[in-house]
Amino acid sequence: MRAPDMNAAVRSSLAELVGYADELRDLDQALGDGDLGITISLGAEAVIAALEQLPEDTSPSLLARECAKAFANANPSTMAALVAGGLLAGSKVWTDRDEVDVADAGRFVRAAGENIAQRGKTQLGDKTILDAIMPAADALEAAADAGAGLEAAIQAAGRAVVDTRGLQSRRGRASWLQERSIGLQDPGATAFWRFLESWHAASPATTPHS
Amino acid sequence: MKKIINDPAAFVDEFVDGILLAHPDLLKVPGDDRRILVRADAPVAGKVGIVTGGGSGHLPLFKGYVGAGLCSGVAIGNVFSSPSSQQVFEATQAVHGGAGVLYLYGNYGGDVFNFDLAADLAELEDIETRTVLGRDDVASQPKERKTDRRGVAGIFFAYKAAGAAAERGDSLEQVAAVAEDVVEHTATMGIGLSPTILPTTQQPSFDLPDGEMEIGIGIHGEPGIHRGPLETADAIADRLVPALVADLGLADGDRVAVLVNGMGATPLEELYVLYRRVHQILAAQGVTIARRYVGEYATSLEMAGASISLLALDDARLALLDAPARSPFFQEG
Repeated sequence: MRAPDMNAAVRSSLAELVGYADELRDLDQALGDGDLGITISLGAEAVIAALEQLPEDTSPSLLARECAKAFANANPSTMAALVAGGLLAGSKVWTDRDEVDVADAGRFVRAAGENIAQRGKTQLGDKTILDAIMPAADALEAAADAGAGLEAAIQAAGRAVVDTRGLQSRRGRASWLQERSIGLQDPGATAFWRFLESWHAASPATTPHS
Repeated sequence: MKKIINDPAAFVDEFVDGILLAHPDLLKVPGDDRRILVRADAPVAGKVGIVTGGGSGHLPLFKGYVGAGLCSGVAIGNVFSSPSSQQVFEATQAVHGGAGVLYLYGNYGGDVFNFDLAADLAELEDIETRTVLGRDDVASQPKERKTDRRGVAGIFFAYKAAGAAAERGDSLEQVAAVAEDVVEHTATMGIGLSPTILPTTQQPSFDLPDGEMEIGIGIHGEPGIHRGPLETADAIADRLVPALVADLGLADGDRVAVLVNGMGATPLEELYVLYRRVHQILAAQGVTIARRYVGEYATSLEMAGASISLLALDDARLALLDAPARSPFFQEG
């Protein structure tokens, strides 16, 4: 995928993702402070506005950086800072590339996840966004083509989201709930899964069923 | 609680405006965002910049220590909440004189996330950064977990020393090492007597009954390690100073700098009553007080209470404390 296509795909996906803001707010009200819905919707709108201004010849790496900056500033929450840091880390693996394929996407997602793990001092199983990101990275890296990769990533992230219900939150505000967090679905992991689904819904051309 | 304010929502912007109008020779706003202040001559070519920041409500903490021989810039959050990464990043750009930028601020989650992200943004612009966190509050974590301690008034010593090191032309690596060394040798503990009233909500930030005190309280009213009946000044010093002496491992013949800090609503007279006892305790142990600072250095709006900080001194730290510095809230030499 080249940058102009990516620009359009990101904007369409985020327009789709905003539709999940209420679901994310409700999940976050149960586990956190309830600002995830607003972080996602304000962040998505800011990224869309920023990408509309980007020149055609912007590289994929710079495009990711613009997404990071816009998302970080829209609603400066902890989640916004973590996601933006992840996007910046991902952008570094695309330096000097004019076009990215599914394996590059996998490396991007993995680098983003590793950055979030380091900055958030979190690991798999702590019931965070990381639990959905890392299985998706595995799926993308193992895929033969973009369509299969996206399908596999959605399935892996979706399974991980369901699995978070059985986990106890170990990081962030949710960790204060301790064992009462068990049974509740992690909002951050859900947000990432919904982003992948939004990408699928917004860009049918990349799926094998189109 | 009565307050001298206009619109609670405009509180931060209005006091920043006031500081700028009162001290145009010392401070300036580098861009459009008035939540970013830098020293009037920033960026200083060839010198390491130091950016600090955090929530409002702690004056003179953070913005009060921007000036020659101190920090170079500050990103200002709302009352008790973090500035954004973009604000930290813009402060970074505004103070970068080609020698890199040290981030020196207190160990609070929101601040850490936003400064770390600003460091990523700075790296994209080829501005090198280092981070040192103030974490001097011995009541917030035991010694074996001291890297998790929160930062309180003792960060003043790190500002003073790192600012002096930057001013004399030390490299980024050296300035960061100076800051880290001072943080490592600083210990603080405080007591709270009354809550603060947040301007936005007009509500007390926590509940502390009349006649009680909270020992080990944080600068946002976070709980300490013990709550009990209010004690005399001497009894308070007798609780706090030995804890600090033990934490720093001070012994007969050692030298320290002492900071007796008011939390916002405690008169100087009471701080000097406290200092008197601090002096007596340390003298009895053979510890020399080489420098002393008594006044408001880190507050929580109008919270009543005080904190005591000790910095264990060697010749290098003492020289850095004595170097010239000038901000609207602090002058030395």
